[in-house]
Amino acid sequence: MKKIFFILFIFFNSFCLLAQNADSTWIVNNYYKIEKYIPMRDGIKLFTSIYIPKDKNDKHPILIKRTPYSCAPYGETIFKDWWNSYQKDYFKEGYIMVTQDVRGRWMSEGEFKDVRPFNPNKKGKEIDESSDTYEAIDWLIKNIPGNNGNVGVFGISYPGFYSTMAAASNHPALKAVSPQAPVTNWFIGDDFHHNGAFFQMDAFDFYSPLGFAFGVPHPHPRSDAAASVGYPDHDNYKFYLETGTLKNLTKYMGDSIAFWKDLMSHPNYDAWWKARDGRNATKNLQPAMLWVGGLFDAEDCWGAWNAYQAAEQNNPGKTFNKIVEGPWFHDQWSDHDGTHHGNIKFGSNTSEYFQQHLEIPFFNYFLKGKGDVSQIAEANIFVTGANEWKTFSQWPPAGKQDEIMYLHANGKLNSVKPATANSFSEYISDPAKPVPYEEQVHFNRTRTYMSDDQRFASRRTDVLVFQTDTLTSDVTVTGNVIADIMTSISTTDADFVVKVIDVFPDYLSYNNVDIYAEEDPVNPYPMGGYQMLVRAEIFRGRYRKSYETPSAFTPGKIEEVKFELPSIAHSFKKGHRIMVQVQSSWFPLVDRNPQQFIDIYHADEKDFIKSDIKIFHDAKNASKIILPVLNK
Amino acid sequence: MKKYLFFILFIFFNSFYLLAQNTDSTWFVTNYYKIERYIPMKDGIKLFTSIYIPKDKTEMHPVLMTRTPYSCAPYGEDKFSGIWRTYRIAYLKENYIIVTQDVRGRYMSEGEFVDVRPFNPNKKTNKDIDEASDTYDAIDWLIKNVPDNNGNVGVLGTSYPGFYSTEASLSGHPALKAVSPQAPVTDWFIGDDFHHKGAFFAMDGFSFYPTFGKAHPKPTTDYGIGFTTPVKDNYKFYLQTGAVKNLDKLIGDSIKFWHELYQHPNYDAWWKARNARNGLYNVKPAILWVGGLFDAEDCWGAWNAYKAAEKQSPQTNSKIVMGPWYHGQWSGEGSFLGNVRFGSNTSAYFQQNIEIPFFNYYLKAKGSVTQIAEANIFITGENQWKKFGQWPPADITTTDLFLSANGKASFNATQPVNENPQTTGDKIKVITDKIQSVFTSNKAGANFDEYISDPAHPVPYTEDVHNRRTREYMTDDQRFTERRTDVLTFETDVLNNDVTVTGPVIADLVTSISTTDADFVVKLIDVFPDDFEYSKEIKGNDKNYPMGGYEMLVRAEIMRGKFRNSFENPEPFTPNKITEVKWELPDVAHSFKKGHRIMVQVQSSWFPLADRNPQKFINIYQADNTDFQKATIRIYHDGVNNSKIILPILK
Repeated sequence: MKKIFFILFIFFNSFCLLAQNADSTWIVNNYYKIEKYIPMRDGIKLFTSIYIPKDKNDKHPILIKRTPYSCAPYGETIFKDWWNSYQKDYFKEGYIMVTQDVRGRWMSEGEFKDVRPFNPNKKGKEIDESSDTYEAIDWLIKNIPGNNGNVGVFGISYPGFYSTMAAASNHPALKAVSPQAPVTNWFIGDDFHHNGAFFQMDAFDFYSPLGFAFGVPHPHPRSDAAASVGYPDHDNYKFYLETGTLKNLTKYMGDSIAFWKDLMSHPNYDAWWKARDGRNATKNLQPAMLWVGGLFDAEDCWGAWNAYQAAEQNNPGKTFNKIVEGPWFHDQWSDHDGTHHGNIKFGSNTSEYFQQHLEIPFFNYFLKGKGDVSQIAEANIFVTGANEWKTFSQWPPAGKQDEIMYLHANGKLNSVKPATANSFSEYISDPAKPVPYEEQVHFNRTRTYMSDDQRFASRRTDVLVFQTDTLTSDVTVTGNVIADIMTSISTTDADFVVKVIDVFPDYLSYNNVDIYAEEDPVNPYPMGGYQMLVRAEIFRGRYRKSYETPSAFTPGKIEEVKFELPSIAHSFKKGHRIMVQVQSSWFPLVDRNPQQFIDIYHADEKDFIKSDIKIFHDAKNASKIILPVLNK
Repeated sequence: MKKYLFFILFIFFNSFYLLAQNTDSTWFVTNYYKIERYIPMKDGIKLFTSIYIPKDKTEMHPVLMTRTPYSCAPYGEDKFSGIWRTYRIAYLKENYIIVTQDVRGRYMSEGEFVDVRPFNPNKKTNKDIDEASDTYDAIDWLIKNVPDNNGNVGVLGTSYPGFYSTEASLSGHPALKAVSPQAPVTDWFIGDDFHHKGAFFAMDGFSFYPTFGKAHPKPTTDYGIGFTTPVKDNYKFYLQTGAVKNLDKLIGDSIKFWHELYQHPNYDAWWKARNARNGLYNVKPAILWVGGLFDAEDCWGAWNAYKAAEKQSPQTNSKIVMGPWYHGQWSGEGSFLGNVRFGSNTSAYFQQNIEIPFFNYYLKAKGSVTQIAEANIFITGENQWKKFGQWPPADITTTDLFLSANGKASFNATQPVNENPQTTGDKIKVITDKIQSVFTSNKAGANFDEYISDPAHPVPYTEDVHNRRTREYMTDDQRFTERRTDVLTFETDVLNNDVTVTGPVIADLVTSISTTDADFVVKLIDVFPDDFEYSKEIKGNDKNYPMGGYEMLVRAEIMRGKFRNSFENPEPFTPNKITEVKWELPDVAHSFKKGHRIMVQVQSSWFPLADRNPQKFINIYQADNTDFQKATIRIYHDGVNNSKIILPILK
């Protein structure tokens, strides 16, 4: 009997090896790898790994990724496992595949600077990431045998930032660039701050030796990673709450992490931060641009939308500056499985669609003159809820209409302006009991919180809930949502988190609708009444008038807090409801606001106080959200 | 290829399973026969009874009976029950005559069913019946009519059948030698199932009665199905249904007992007649009380029926077993409950070392019962069975654990502020301290903690969105509530040595509320160390839950504030007046290990487990949605008004 298992084992195992071998053997047989130090204008040399097809019949384009995360594996005989990715298709097309360690990282020389400012007026030996890319491209087309003189650059996340910077190099050989989830502005919307509120958990984990240890100094080239020390806790809420202040977090960071110190000393949107805005590099772009982002990307959702829009504004009349947004977590579009995000299903493999119908055709067309790109629209957007790819000739779409949804007493949300006088809802925001960003006890920041069920938050006394009646027809929202809150607080500062939520119907049978996931067949997540987070954003109240010059609230005085949430593309279906939640913490995703107008990066534990938050919904002071609704 | 292999695998495993099944089931069918009888009661009503009789003629056999309102299905003399699938195969192997009877007015029995029918100590005529007399008549018929019985009868049952076991023990039939009431329903107002300390466990009631409470005009094998909630999220369903009056509308008017519940908001004579402890005097048979420490239904009943028997019937041979179990878990697998693990199969221990020897000894005179102590208690945390000569144990010290400022719990009370300083220096210090406290304290005040209890956002009793009341909530992680603004948390420093708590826990809160009524829930919690992990060898669920820093619920109980002085005569609170609210939580048996902390949480709702208090002194069963209002709740710890819990700590 056991024998049968053995036979099964052999059978499946061989099959698996076979599948692997087909692609990996092909790549190993048809490519060779070289590693070179490419000199920059200031004499610094950058480590570069290059996979070159053995084929001599054709000239081949070059596709580069510049990365701070290493071009491992190192060694000319050791191949990266490209065959496990859709990028094996570029090998089948004969691309010369290049990965470069950016200046000051891993095996490259020089000094690393986080999000190094773009310098539009470089003189002499002044460098930036654009000039480094320029020189890399220049060296590659002059030194790599059999190249066709066409270069493309792509990269996701931090490499997305380097892609934006590459585009600004404007090397004539650079024909196509795809910045994907590009880090663009770490104060306004990506990674470490959203609207000035500090995403402490992501930042701390990224830089600290307790976590990813990105910030560990690099005195000389090295091929191995700094070791992570590991955390003392398995519960991030507890870890960050007990740590208390950012001052204490800084103690855990040690004193050698330069960028953490920078973060701690630039609380406001000053010249230092403005120099680190990726959008500075989006003027006069020559290559074709394909911006890519995830609607549920917890890291750099903001960057993709906003770098694209900056490029639109800065390059009027440019023919190929286009965007793709799908229903993805950070880098899910390069993954095999784009069928779902957390509990939400999309009805098709959206990642595969992107790879085969958008990205590969884009590079093939601009670098190989192959195929066509007429199917790539100005904006190629997956609309969740409707679960369809839609194409638009501009973004936000021309056919949208801003619909004002007012918050009302008794938790109502509708388009009728309140008529009552002096009406408000209130809650006490207590820094000792911040609102969790996620329901379960866990340690690593989840990527699914972006679409997770918000019922746990609805049940709290410090979260306000407003919802529409059941929708009688589909409402498709495409573009930026504006939160416009009339508030008074009992202290001098507070945060405001606004969440836009799709409330699913209660029906039991709803679980059987095939577009909605049941990840765990034994304990399916109860989707009836699910409160799907469509978009949430935080705003640090002190910046309501200016990011550069924060201002205190006057306790008890009604003020407007108005801010933009990153674009959404979602259809609230007939039978669903639209819900808005308002709360004043989002923990430990975001650091706690002491709710006093002081430098939060140097606040003490005793500075954290409760604040009584009133959200007004009366005729004079009407809080609202503005939804860009697509006309049918 | 694939198809063929899977087919072979399927056949193989399936055969194996059938084989395993057949060993015991075949044995049962081959060695027993079944008869069904209507047994006449003294008032002429006949109760349907199914009887499994061993074919063995080599000896006389004892009778083991369960009386149940849940049916003695399967019906039909050719249809055998699945008893052989359980540990009770042991009774079959011992050739017990196994009897199940539909109680009066349920399923195939005649007569009128009365929920938790009052015990009548003075039955005078044949018309005066109760469950004790029905049991008497059943026993009498069985020993006179079932062939080859040895004249010894035992009764056992869990939950509602536990109630019928308690009543059986009051029958006074001389053939009845041993009774084991397990998780016996004992008092539905004070602690079991549908009320705890007067607070209505609406969810359990509402999921039970739409089916169970249906009328029974004539014998039937099927009650059909009850009410299906349209919303599969109990928090949402009960919140949007609102006042319990609205539940009454949903259930319709045919469910008699449901409406009776609504007529008796206080602990009146009607309720007192339904207290199963009433009859526990001069009990003749040996009794083995069994209960689960984490039984969400009838934890209270097991402890308190035992205690009543000890007090009211001291000459009775009455013992107790308490294990770390959910309702009925002792008849199944007992290695873990929810995320908490016990290190051994505690249920198998109970079955093989306690229950089976108990009946064998008293009904078959086989073996011995010397290993069954007065109290046989599994201490969680320590994960050991312990035997005690009395319960609560003799060697406990009742110790105050004070709730104090800044979330501390301490075995030392807050010292009162010296308001009458002796020297000028003292006086200056008192005043400067007071001034300083105005500047430094951003909290409501160091002398009390406060929260707003909002009936529109009641505190969930368990974390996840779900529909059916879980049984694991009794040991679940309480971190989700610690994070709420309407839950107060107090915890000790890390313990330097084990603290073992055995016996009832007293919650003694000194409170003021801004309205005229409120509920109080006190939770006793074991906070695991941050680096805690179970060893892989210890059997548990396979959920990989983060156990570091786990806040294990050891015991929680609710108290409906208006009953603080009397369950019979509720009293309003005077808004903002300092008032003591003191109540007893069901007994615990838990060791807080060195390196852990003891935590106490206080909150004013526990939803939808318990109905919401409108926080206004009115008849809650008649309250409207508009009656529900917020209340500001203060819990004092100022040195004079010291909120505390009182722990029975084992020396």
